[in-house]
Amino acid sequence: MNHTREILTFQFGTYANYVGAHFWNQQEANFVYDDPANEVAVEQYPNNDILYREGRNEQKQTTYTPRLLSVDLAGTLAHLPIVGELYGNYVQRADEAPTDDIVEKLKEGAEQNKLSTSGQLDVLQQPTAPMSEYQRDLLKGTLNTQDKDYKLAESCNSWADYLYARYHPRTFSMLQGITRKSDVQSLATHGAGVEMWHSTAFNEDFCDRIRQYAEECDALQGFQLLFDIDDGFSGMASKCLEHLNDEYTRASYVLPLHYPQNISYAQADMRTAHSIRVVNSVLSYYHLSEQASMFTPLSTLETIWRNSSLKSRNLTGLQFQANNLYQTSAVLAAYLDTVTLGFRLRETSESLMRFCDRVSPSGRKLTAASLALPLGMQQQQDLIDYLNVADSNALLTQLTPGCEPGSSYVLQSLVARGIPDSRLKRPLEQAAKQVQMAAYKCDSVSHMLQLYYQCNYHSSQTHASSTPLPLKTHLPFPYEIFNSSFASNGFKLLDDEHRSVEQRVASAPALAAVQNSSKLGNHLDALHGQTHRIQLAKLQSYSQSGLERDEYETALEQLLEFRDNYADAHYL
Amino acid sequence: MASISLLNPKAEFARAAQALAINISAAKGLQDVMRTNLGPKGTVKMLVSGAGDIKITKDGNVLLHDMQIQHPTASMIARASTAQDDCTGDGTTTTVMLIGELLKQADIYLSEGLHPRIMTEGFEKARDKALEVLEKIKVPVEINKKNLMEIANTSLKTKVHPSLADLLTEVCVDAVLTIANDSQKPVDLHMVELMEMQHKTDTDTQLVRGLVMDHGARHPDMPKRLENAYILTANVSLEYEKAEVNSGFFYKTATEREQFVRAERDFIDQRVKKVIELKRAVCDGTDKTFVLINQKGIDPISLDALAKEGILALRRAKRRNMERLALACGGTAMNSFDDLQEEHLGYAGVVYEHVLGENKYTFVEDCKNPLSVTILIKGPNKHTITQIKDAIRDGLRAINNTIADKCLVPGAGAFEVRAHNELVKFKESVKGKAQLAVQAFADALLVIPKTLAINSGYDAQDTIVKLTVEDRLSPELVGLDLGTGEPMKPTDLGVYDNYIVKKQILNSCSIIASNLLLVDEVMRAGMTSLKG
Repeated sequence: MNHTREILTFQFGTYANYVGAHFWNQQEANFVYDDPANEVAVEQYPNNDILYREGRNEQKQTTYTPRLLSVDLAGTLAHLPIVGELYGNYVQRADEAPTDDIVEKLKEGAEQNKLSTSGQLDVLQQPTAPMSEYQRDLLKGTLNTQDKDYKLAESCNSWADYLYARYHPRTFSMLQGITRKSDVQSLATHGAGVEMWHSTAFNEDFCDRIRQYAEECDALQGFQLLFDIDDGFSGMASKCLEHLNDEYTRASYVLPLHYPQNISYAQADMRTAHSIRVVNSVLSYYHLSEQASMFTPLSTLETIWRNSSLKSRNLTGLQFQANNLYQTSAVLAAYLDTVTLGFRLRETSESLMRFCDRVSPSGRKLTAASLALPLGMQQQQDLIDYLNVADSNALLTQLTPGCEPGSSYVLQSLVARGIPDSRLKRPLEQAAKQVQMAAYKCDSVSHMLQLYYQCNYHSSQTHASSTPLPLKTHLPFPYEIFNSSFASNGFKLLDDEHRSVEQRVASAPALAAVQNSSKLGNHLDALHGQTHRIQLAKLQSYSQSGLERDEYETALEQLLEFRDNYADAHYL
Repeated sequence: MASISLLNPKAEFARAAQALAINISAAKGLQDVMRTNLGPKGTVKMLVSGAGDIKITKDGNVLLHDMQIQHPTASMIARASTAQDDCTGDGTTTTVMLIGELLKQADIYLSEGLHPRIMTEGFEKARDKALEVLEKIKVPVEINKKNLMEIANTSLKTKVHPSLADLLTEVCVDAVLTIANDSQKPVDLHMVELMEMQHKTDTDTQLVRGLVMDHGARHPDMPKRLENAYILTANVSLEYEKAEVNSGFFYKTATEREQFVRAERDFIDQRVKKVIELKRAVCDGTDKTFVLINQKGIDPISLDALAKEGILALRRAKRRNMERLALACGGTAMNSFDDLQEEHLGYAGVVYEHVLGENKYTFVEDCKNPLSVTILIKGPNKHTITQIKDAIRDGLRAINNTIADKCLVPGAGAFEVRAHNELVKFKESVKGKAQLAVQAFADALLVIPKTLAINSGYDAQDTIVKLTVEDRLSPELVGLDLGTGEPMKPTDLGVYDNYIVKKQILNSCSIIASNLLLVDEVMRAGMTSLKG
């Protein structure tokens, strides 16, 4: 018997939801209803049932929604009703349609149901939440992803502005009473997040939602957890992970996300804010090293913690604003989608657990992310030629700040997408020089990549998989980040050619990897080095949320112990 | 110049009179917002948020939360109101009203030069006296259905329409009495499950003497309805988890791997077999049936095996339902199947499934001596259900408070009027300017009957005069009849409030009000001082 091996996803925090929104948009962009051309074999499509559930709403319509639990601050939902838009129980509010009739009807209904003591109801209508142009067009069904420029990068205030996917009523939990502020992070510390997790109003409801999702699953294989590590959501995620391990004992792939900008906290100057960030990271790493199956910190920044320059990673072919949440989160989401695609394909024997296990041996649970988007392959170029000329280190760009896994003793798991088998190599009669290359005997993309890394990385182990499905990069993905040397199918144009301005990149090949090597110990050293300057007593917001000195010291010790896992350079 | 500005020239601060004015105006503002909610004639509000979310409420606490208060003073009062809710489940609006009124009354004297310190001392004396009065007028009650109905009804009538309140009263009292089972102790309200069902055409609230769970069997062949059922509750995993991660899963050949997998699978199968053996032992040859309710997962293979035996199996039950099931059906929740006996099983007369859209519900009913029950709320939409749920919660709390206190306080503003009169008398015995504070406290208490009168459409001054005069003349307590606007005896009409609620209000309000009065400097400093 073959059952869908479900994965439940969690998103804690605003940036996590930014990334999540792109991730789910990407899933829906890849839905295939029917494929007349049948270019891609069935088993190379992702099995959407792993991440999605089928349901029925009150109107007896079938719904297909992500198995997702999302937590964010009040106010981030903007125009989205908290119950989602598929199951009713809300009033559709848009500028054009007056809602008075519907509200009046609801009012009468409520009065008939004797909800009012006196038979009368006072209606208080708050002003309609502003809706982004993209959402307005989506609602009207006049979405134009080809020509219209929605300027999402400049105008986007929240992830709700560009969310194409629709969620189940169970999905959103908003932290009541903690409102999003434009200048400071309201839920600042790990401790505050822990406290929030334990508050009865939140905890009971949230754990029950997890249970309801788990109850539906026949063969739950694990969890995928995204959270903001810079703020209080780190505490909430740590506690959630603990709960998941207690109740469900499944694999968990955790992705702590660093904001691409320095966020500020109430009553904290730069220096204090920096300390808060470091303490949040220390405490999170402490919990993750014990609870997670594997964790991969993600950010588009080059370094974090003591970072005033905010230098961004530079992906060849991409131009994005370093501190733009909408654009940077799209890059991270592209990574997440690509790297996890390996075990989400149909008829794969891979699982989340093996994925984690393979690259995190003997307690080396911290792993590094790297991505090549777009892959620098030229139009008409074959993979074999591309790899032949590519500089071995320049292929992938690191997405984990402060991590350089190096090119020897590396364990890695990589997924290539968007390279059709026809682009692998020439048939024998046209092969010319290709025949002389060792890689010519490889029959698949994954095989060839494996060989490539075998040759380039000294005593390393690579696991590669691939699918011909490219990354879909039309709206609401920030298509504008591709520079003009790439064609609309994401392959590189010849040297002097440029894509015309009207043309947009609609899809792109990509390569993503999760890597592990003893060099990752440096990342932990860097974090530990930061802690020397911290005076915990001076961190007011921490003493307020009741962080015990002991707990912090345990966390520091644990961090060193965890670092020891990376000490032995001989271990592959 | 405040000392803070020496340290931080950017700090914003307000001193003395100005600080007080800030606090008082915030309290008054909040009071204005909440005023219309008080009492059975207060208006119910339907909130439609900017995104279209609907909420119907009359609960002061809910409103306060929804308004997302930023003002520091207001949020302090809001917190007092939340504490009141956590503690007693009632009186949240009253708390806000009273704090506002105490400050308002105090302001009159403070503006004439009375020192806040004297004011707070007077408040303390007045509060002690008021508590004394409360002690004197409380009515000890027998815990029986009639008395509990009265208190629950008073509480519920302030939340929903009288006719619905009557229905809910019956449900709440029955629920608590069933669980209490003649003991005179307050019950664990966690043992009353509130289950909601969204149903297009049906609005109904009923008490199920048993348990309703929000999930059902996950196998098509499992029975949909069983009678005379044994209930096995367990916390044992019946699913095969690939153990590759936790243990080294080393194998040389494919067959060896197969063997490992089979051994692992076998382990689970053994557990399933134990359940099936027990089922055969107790059910075969009788008309009894068997239900398994598991807190952990059950995988399709195990479900299949159980279904073949006609066992109804539920997976991933709520943790709290384990406890509830044991109380409702008897039996014990098992953590292992090693020593499974008949005595571990519970019993239910009927177990059946109900499907509604994508949701399944399983009813476990006709239990022999249920010590845990479920209140099932049906409504056409979410906001209706939520509003009824909130009302029920408060009703249950009111009943439980009564059982704990074993006494009640006459309602309809009777206590406030009496306390006012007593305080005015008491004022004479207080020395010095503190008298004024006692007077202020006495006057502040009248805000409750006053607002009740206004909300019901009567003249406030008229009513207050009538009530205070009537109270002075009669030894019995006098409250306001909201139907006629005339004084009446609340004991006759069965209008009662909880003793603990009143006590809590007196205590917390005087403390918060005193604290706010003593504030003589408000400052806002810090690195991210929020200008504008």
